[in-house]
Amino acid sequence: MIKVKNLHKKFGDLMVLNGIDEHISQGEVVVIIGPSGSGKSTFLRCLNLLEDVTEGEIYVDDELINTPKVNINVVRQKMGMVFQQFNLFPHLTIMDNITLAPVLLKKMTKEEAVKKGQELLERVNLAEKADAYPAQLSGGQKQRVAIARALAMNPEIMLFDEPTSALDPEMVGEVLDVMKDLARSGMTMVIVTHEMGFAREVASRVLFIDQGVVMESGTPQEVFTDPKNERTKLFLSKVL
Amino acid sequence: MTGIQLWFAEFCDLFHQSFIREDRYKLLISGVGVTVKVSLLAVFIGILIGMLVAMCNLSKRKLIRAIGGIYTDVIRGTPSVTQLMVIYFVIFATVDLDKWIIAAIAFGVNSGAYVSEIIRGGILSVDHGQTEAGRSLGLNAFQTMTRIVIPQAVKNIFPALCNEFIVLIKETAIVGYVGLMDIQKAGDFIKSATYKAPMPLFGTAVIYYVLIKILTLTLRQVENHLRKSDAR
Repeated sequence: MIKVKNLHKKFGDLMVLNGIDEHISQGEVVVIIGPSGSGKSTFLRCLNLLEDVTEGEIYVDDELINTPKVNINVVRQKMGMVFQQFNLFPHLTIMDNITLAPVLLKKMTKEEAVKKGQELLERVNLAEKADAYPAQLSGGQKQRVAIARALAMNPEIMLFDEPTSALDPEMVGEVLDVMKDLARSGMTMVIVTHEMGFAREVASRVLFIDQGVVMESGTPQEVFTDPKNERTKLFLSKVL
Repeated sequence: MTGIQLWFAEFCDLFHQSFIREDRYKLLISGVGVTVKVSLLAVFIGILIGMLVAMCNLSKRKLIRAIGGIYTDVIRGTPSVTQLMVIYFVIFATVDLDKWIIAAIAFGVNSGAYVSEIIRGGILSVDHGQTEAGRSLGLNAFQTMTRIVIPQAVKNIFPALCNEFIVLIKETAIVGYVGLMDIQKAGDFIKSATYKAPMPLFGTAVIYYVLIKILTLTLRQVENHLRKSDAR
């Protein structure tokens, strides 16, 4: 579903991603862990080209996407993204946040989008908030709306960039529950997170990224209980 | 007669001389018309130019940024009277347009430079995450700008924009230089005709003050309306 070949990313002279090769298949829930500054968020943001790629190739559904010939906007419609800072649109109601893209991009009529929006809000337990504005919601509620907003485009893949890092501790659970539910429904997910318990429980595969390369990749069992790489061991000994 | 009565009688006489005799109030009223129509058209032109120049200044292309930069630089670096006279006596010297329209163009061109900086600041004040969220949903750059960034920027820049409009209205008091009879020029004319300065000058001040008060109160209503999504 997503193929990454020899991915390099430089910010100025700083090499952030130093040759990543990865293959993410349909239905996989890939959790990316690693120390801060390791390049894990940058890797995720390269997947939908929010960061332009310095070198290498990214394929989505066997289509090379980092070339000027491809309309990236169409590719992004297949890839939902959830951000650390939620990034809800503060000038729009919750329902308008959700329906804006599908209606504007002619994926649905307004009526269909509202119906879908209502279903999604029920799915994230926020049906009664449709007419509220983002400023009236708690962090956990905002992030659940952000997930609903991304799902409204019927994406094939969902990318999560540290979705619980900006939340108060008591709100982390409600967001993770929504993500678990999503994983069980068979959605292909790529998640950057510091929630090791969540990674262990939900991931079909865990990637440990450090110094811009994938140091270790395997099932949660393999990575958490029997890490091969010294850096992985060192990192896990600090966070577990 | 007491002192106060004397003073009052003199006041009435001056008032009569300055505003009533020879229908002089009509001059001021038509002056209000000139000020208002020049200001309104200038604000409109200023916003159009301001948006265009803001887009130039935010462009990725160096050449386009340079054009916007030079425009802002020249306008901010020269007096508006000079600009008005250059536009009226040089650029539009041979063009057959109503005086007030040429004046409005001059003030619009002037205001555009300031408005462009306000708009640019407003767009930059919207968190970059908003753009990323829009683009990640598949919206193109233009849709993201018009549907997500600009609506939020408008709210942020509204007070600064109102301030610019108020400055602009007062700035139009120099249109007398190109022979238009606005409020200021009308007051000036009465002063020359009567050889009495205080009454026409205070009258001019009061008229500007009332005009701007009305505008300020109206714009505040609009701003309150814009802020409704901030409710907590």
